[in-house]
Amino acid sequence: MAAEGARAARGGEACGGDRVKALTKDEVAKAFEGLGAVDQPRGNRIRLVTTVDRAREAIGRATTALRCDHLIQMSSADTGKAFDLVYQLTGPHRTVVSIAVEIPRDRPEVPSVADLLPPAGIYERGIHDLLGIVFVGHPGLKRIILNEDWPEGEYPLRKDWKPDPAKFYGGVREGVG
Amino acid sequence: MPEVVIPIGPQHPALKEPVNFKVVADGEIIVRLELDVSYNHRGIEKAAEQRDFVRVVPLLERVCGICSHSHTTVFVKGIEEAMKLEIPRRAQYIRTIVAELERMHSHLLWLGVAAHEIGFNTLFMWTWRDRELVQDMLEELTGNRVNYGINEVGGVRRDLTPALVKASLDRLPYLAERIAKYTAMASKQRTMLLRFQGVGKLTEAEALKYGAVGPTARASGVDYDVRKDDPYLSYPDVPWKVVTDDHGDVFGRTLVRVGELVESTNIVRHCLENLPEGAIRIQPPRAAPKGEVLSRYEAPRGELVHFIRTNNTDKAERLDIRTPTLANWTSVAVSLVGQNLADIPVVVAAIDPCLSCTSRITIVDPEGAETGTMTWDELRAHGIRFYREREGI
Repeated sequence: MAAEGARAARGGEACGGDRVKALTKDEVAKAFEGLGAVDQPRGNRIRLVTTVDRAREAIGRATTALRCDHLIQMSSADTGKAFDLVYQLTGPHRTVVSIAVEIPRDRPEVPSVADLLPPAGIYERGIHDLLGIVFVGHPGLKRIILNEDWPEGEYPLRKDWKPDPAKFYGGVREGVG
Repeated sequence: MPEVVIPIGPQHPALKEPVNFKVVADGEIIVRLELDVSYNHRGIEKAAEQRDFVRVVPLLERVCGICSHSHTTVFVKGIEEAMKLEIPRRAQYIRTIVAELERMHSHLLWLGVAAHEIGFNTLFMWTWRDRELVQDMLEELTGNRVNYGINEVGGVRRDLTPALVKASLDRLPYLAERIAKYTAMASKQRTMLLRFQGVGKLTEAEALKYGAVGPTARASGVDYDVRKDDPYLSYPDVPWKVVTDDHGDVFGRTLVRVGELVESTNIVRHCLENLPEGAIRIQPPRAAPKGEVLSRYEAPRGELVHFIRTNNTDKAERLDIRTPTLANWTSVAVSLVGQNLADIPVVVAAIDPCLSCTSRITIVDPEGAETGTMTWDELRAHGIRFYREREGI
């Protein structure tokens, strides 16, 4: 079956024991040398904590040296002090490689990785909508999750966000139409 | 012929969630696709931050009407990981049974929808009749047909009696027989071959590059399946295999889904026959220690992810949901380029978008010369007519 060939080409057998070996913490630490601290929260989760200006370099190394070919999620959170952004990647080794960066609240900018990882394009648009993080270099950082009549500059997943009673957040306006 | 922009959507009463596509077409050929999924944002992630772990589960069950069990399982398993709880094996088996039945009803639903989009309504009626059997099993086992309400942090809420197990096992042979029939049809039936083969082609490299997940990726030879890659529930105990295919088109996606129907039937049978004895739940602590969990789950449409942050309270500080459909959009936009306008319904339906669609299509000529309106039904009829004239089906 040709599918078998395709699987072999990626270096793994889907359902046997002899798939590509999981990454070890040391391998990941070696690949990310000079970028930041690496730890292993559990079994197949390995995490690098780095800075905003090294994020693209880290993703570049993850996709080449660590053979990560799948972006699972760009996890985002507001810690109150800063925004956390975690690129969750995996590859034929099935290990989840996380690259965590902290983005300052007063200057919420991070370079876009949509050119390195095309699926990031749509995730970055979502995060921009909800948390107001600006992805510098994104080809079209347009609204995707929030409705078109949502007011500009309001980012509902920020912890300090409160709806302003004077503003209109979309939907049906009472007494209109 | 100048390029025209064709907005499709966002409203369609028959489907779950609205979406809007702007299709740029040159004659019958699609040049580019833009999308807007903003019409159904309900702020569930924000609402989830306000509710404790008992009350957030029913909310998450309502993220989606089809993968309702997926969203609660991925969440409770994440919270259980944060709390470092060991869940009784019997509870894990029951969760697995419901998860695989959910996959079966979802794939049968998809097969029906895909058949409908190509004008093959007989198959649509058959698969939906058989899906009803799966729904009946789910109702017997959990008490509900759609939002099963079986999960809670610490285990499941309802035990299976021996009589229930037997009743479910008795239903499986008939389902297996029907699924075998669909498997045979998918690779032989002439209308399906003509409308599915070569349509919405995605190579293995493209599937990886554009981040496709689930049956969409597996039909292109990418063997990612969270049930194997990051085992959870009772999948490590059950003999089963990841179904892949190398056609990369809608035909391949159909073969993968019917293959998964067979696998799911076997998993359900195995779990029902080997259901361990013991408790179905443990009492969880009220609060979860401070932590961060990336919980992954193979939903019927592909990998579903909940990123959860806990902070020593009984509420999640942050819940970030990445649904499989969002991951698959990029690949749809790519696989539609160069295809016929007539193939939009099939290619879009082929990722099984847990969202929806389209009632009103306005045809706009950028020069402003001509504006017309098409409904999704008309677009579907256009697709059927286009192929009838060209291929005689």
